[in-house]
This record gives sequence, structure tokens and C-alpha cells, in this order.
Amino acid sequence: MSATPGGLITAPVPRSRRQIWSLGGGKGGIGKSLLAASLGWQLSRMGKRVILIDADLGGANLHTCLGFANPPERTLGDFIRRRVERIEDVAVETGFTGLRLISGASDFLGAANIKYPQKVRVLNRIRGLDVDVVLMDLGAGTAFNIIDFFLISDVGILTVVPEPTSIENAYRFIKSALYRRLRGAATTENVKEIIESALDQKNANGIKTPLDLLRAVEREDPGAVDSLRKEMAAFHPRFVVNQVRGDADIPVGHQLVTACARHLGIRSTYAGFVHYDDAVWQCVRRRRLFVAEAPGSTPAVEVAQLARALIRNESLPLSW
Amino acid sequence: MDCETLYDVLGVSRRATRDQIDKAHHFLRQMYDDVSLATYSLLDPEEKRATRARVNHAYEVLGDPVRRREYDVSLDPTPQEKTSQTVLSFPPGAPSAAGPSPPRPESSGPATILKGPVTGEHLRRLREQKGVSLQTISTSSKIGVRFFEYIEADRHSHLPARVYLRSFLQEYAKALGLDPNGVADAYIARLPKA
Repeated sequence: MSATPGGLITAPVPRSRRQIWSLGGGKGGIGKSLLAASLGWQLSRMGKRVILIDADLGGANLHTCLGFANPPERTLGDFIRRRVERIEDVAVETGFTGLRLISGASDFLGAANIKYPQKVRVLNRIRGLDVDVVLMDLGAGTAFNIIDFFLISDVGILTVVPEPTSIENAYRFIKSALYRRLRGAATTENVKEIIESALDQKNANGIKTPLDLLRAVEREDPGAVDSLRKEMAAFHPRFVVNQVRGDADIPVGHQLVTACARHLGIRSTYAGFVHYDDAVWQCVRRRRLFVAEAPGSTPAVEVAQLARALIRNESLPLSW
Repeated sequence: MDCETLYDVLGVSRRATRDQIDKAHHFLRQMYDDVSLATYSLLDPEEKRATRARVNHAYEVLGDPVRRREYDVSLDPTPQEKTSQTVLSFPPGAPSAAGPSPPRPESSGPATILKGPVTGEHLRRLREQKGVSLQTISTSSKIGVRFFEYIEADRHSHLPARVYLRSFLQEYAKALGLDPNGVADAYIARLPKA
């Protein structure tokens, strides 16, 4: 503690634990990158030191959402291919205080298929970044690269829009990610085989959900079930419903959480929702970040609420 | 699941109010609807139908005070009167679909004491004198209007078990500014011994 000239006592600001957040969603075109940029901006505005990582290798456009006129010259690809030794050195300033960007832009298409040792190196270095929050924008789909980034995160955020295709992909993403996590935790070949069989929706074991999977493991190898249950309990995706167009879309997040718990045995959280607004897209066209241009607008306020809920690990309450 | 109760099916606690049960049912009905987004691709139509049937069955039982009490007894065969009343009592802060409760007539004045046995007809006349509708009592007490109709019509075979009937009569009496215990005692005294 120290006294300032004004007589105020200031305590040192406690350094919050560094966190890795990732934003996935299985489907492209649902506003994921824009949401990542907005969330990153909001976190920096709340005093966090943030690095946004565009991990959508091959389809990167976070820099565009942030208003860059040209793609940054240094990118994550430079670090992956060892043209740059330190991951910090591919982080560029965004023009917003406290917010830097590691871009995935201008990389060869092949970058999306980085090899396992490269991936481990990237993941380790991300863990070592000296910031409060690393926010990763993952690409669409359920490729192992994407899932692995999601699984190493402290906070795994799943973006959905209220459309059947998006919901379908979100469930596919959740199951793929959980099965990959369980596969990594399995200690016997027998259990590994059961988990791998579950990835095929028409598997002979009749496994359609993680709950079925646990039952199958219990039959084959009862001693292995407890550790799988623990892995399942530690898996905790956060839902964000983006591009909400009416009140009827808001409970979709609650329904997803309920459906995950009841039918998949997965604990999840409804972190928040963001309304659709034409003004947002007009802003994108002008390459301006909407939340920074109109911080009092409904979508911006909702992004702020979302950021707070994610920091505090809160769920939107049901109204009853 | 063998141990799943009807409360689990609706996702509410054993102490849930009628209003909470209604809302939970509404939420799940939407969630398991054929056009629901949240269960799209997760459940096939047959699974949805089966789940809907379970949800509706749970609501038919828990949404009906008499059947709910019977079910509670089946869950816990030795209920204390106290716990039964807890299930029925509604916390003052519980949200009400109808907004703030309507003012209760004469609630600030001294409660009217009724003497001697009281029939449903007596109660009905008193209520009409005070200009209070059954719907008003039902809304403020969150008890189904038909139970008050049974009470006023003296349809004894339709009345719920004593502990519930007593609490319904007390609510009725309070809404009319009558002495709750007096009304309950006077009405129940006329009924055949249970």
C-alpha cells in the first residue's frame, strides 16, 4: 500500500490469473470472429491486458474486424515455421489500449494442418504469454487442431446462432471435443477402442451420447469409469447465443444447457446472448469495430454483460 | 432412471410453487417441441415424443394439488404435517404471474370471527357481500379456483386431504378478512370424520 499525494491509499491491483479463453462453434458465418474482436475489446476496456489470437488458420480475418487496413505482416504462421522465435514477437498493436493481436492472416492454406509437435509448441508458448486473457478465435469445424485449442482453454466458449444448422454443429463440436478429451485420458486399449467407436454415429455399440459411452465402458471395464466421469465433469463449455432476433431466441441458451445436462451428461453454462443489429454489419463493411463505435448500443452492452459473466463464471439465471 | 422423481422430470425442487411448476412445464414443452432448436439433431422424433409424454405426465400430477399430495406421500410415506404445509406454502417473494397481489379487503381491520359450524353456502354469501371473486382469491393464494368452488358447493368428496383443505380454507378466509383458523375449524367441524 502507498499513499498518493491526494491522500488516497492505493492498494496494488491484484494480478488476476492468466486465462486462456477460446471461441469455437463448429459453424462458419455465425459472427464468431466479430464476437471475439468485440469481447477482446471489452476485456481490454475493463482493464485486462488481452491478446487476441486468430487461430482460424486458413480463414483468418480478425484483423479486418479490428479495422486493420492491411493484414499484419507478422503472423502466427511465422512463429509456427520458426521464422520468429518468440510468440510475443508476432503480436501486433491494434490501436486499442491493452489489446494486441496475433494474426493468422496471409498464411498458406497448409497452416491449418500444423503437425503435432508444432501444435504443442504453440500451445505451450500461448500458456506463457504475459497477459491477463488470451482470447483465441478458433476456425469453423471439428478438426483436431481446433478441438485441441478448445480443450487447453480455461474457458471454452461455444457460439451458436438460433438456427438448426448452427445448433447441430454445436452438438457435434461438443461431442467431438469431449470424446477427444476422454480418449486422451483413457488408460487401456479397450477403453480407447470404445471411445473411438463412439465417434462413428452408426457404431455397433449403439453409443449415441456420452452417457451411452459411459454405460458401454462400465460393461467392458468397470474400473475405468470413474476417471472418465471425472474428465466429463471437468469439461464445461459456455454457450453464447449470437444474432438473437427476438425474445423467443433468448431461452434457446437455457434449453441448450438443459439438453446437455439431461441428454449428454455434460455440464455447461449459458454465458449470454447478443442481439442482431444491422448497424453492426454496416460497421463491419466500413471495417470499424461496432462495440467501440457505439458502446452504449444494445449489442455492445450485451457483449459487456457477456464479458463479466465469463470472468465471474456466471450463468444467465432462468426466470423461475 | 429408476430414482428419477416427477420433480426431476420437471427440473424443479420438491418445494416448488405452482407458478414455478407451470413455468418449468412451459419451458420443457417448448424445448421438446418438434420445431425446437435446442433439441434439433440431439433427439429423434420418437425420443422427443417419449420425453414430452414424461414431462406432461409429471405436470398432470404436480400441477394438481390433490394428485401432487398423493404423489408426495408415495415418495415419502411418513410425512409430517409441517413438511406437507411447507410444500404448499408460497414464499412471499415468489414471483407471481399475475403481478402484485390484489389488495385483500379489510385486511387491516380486525378479522371477523365466525361462530358455530360454517357451510359452503355461508362462505359464499359472505364472499359475495364483500364483493370478492373466487378468481381473485385463487390468484392471490395461487390455489386452483375449482377447490374454492368445491368448498362453497360443499362437494366433500372432491375436497383434498384435511391438511390441505385447512390451508385452502385459511387462504380463503384471509382473502375475505375473516379469522383463518376460525373459518377452517368451523368448516371442517361439519365434515364427516376422516
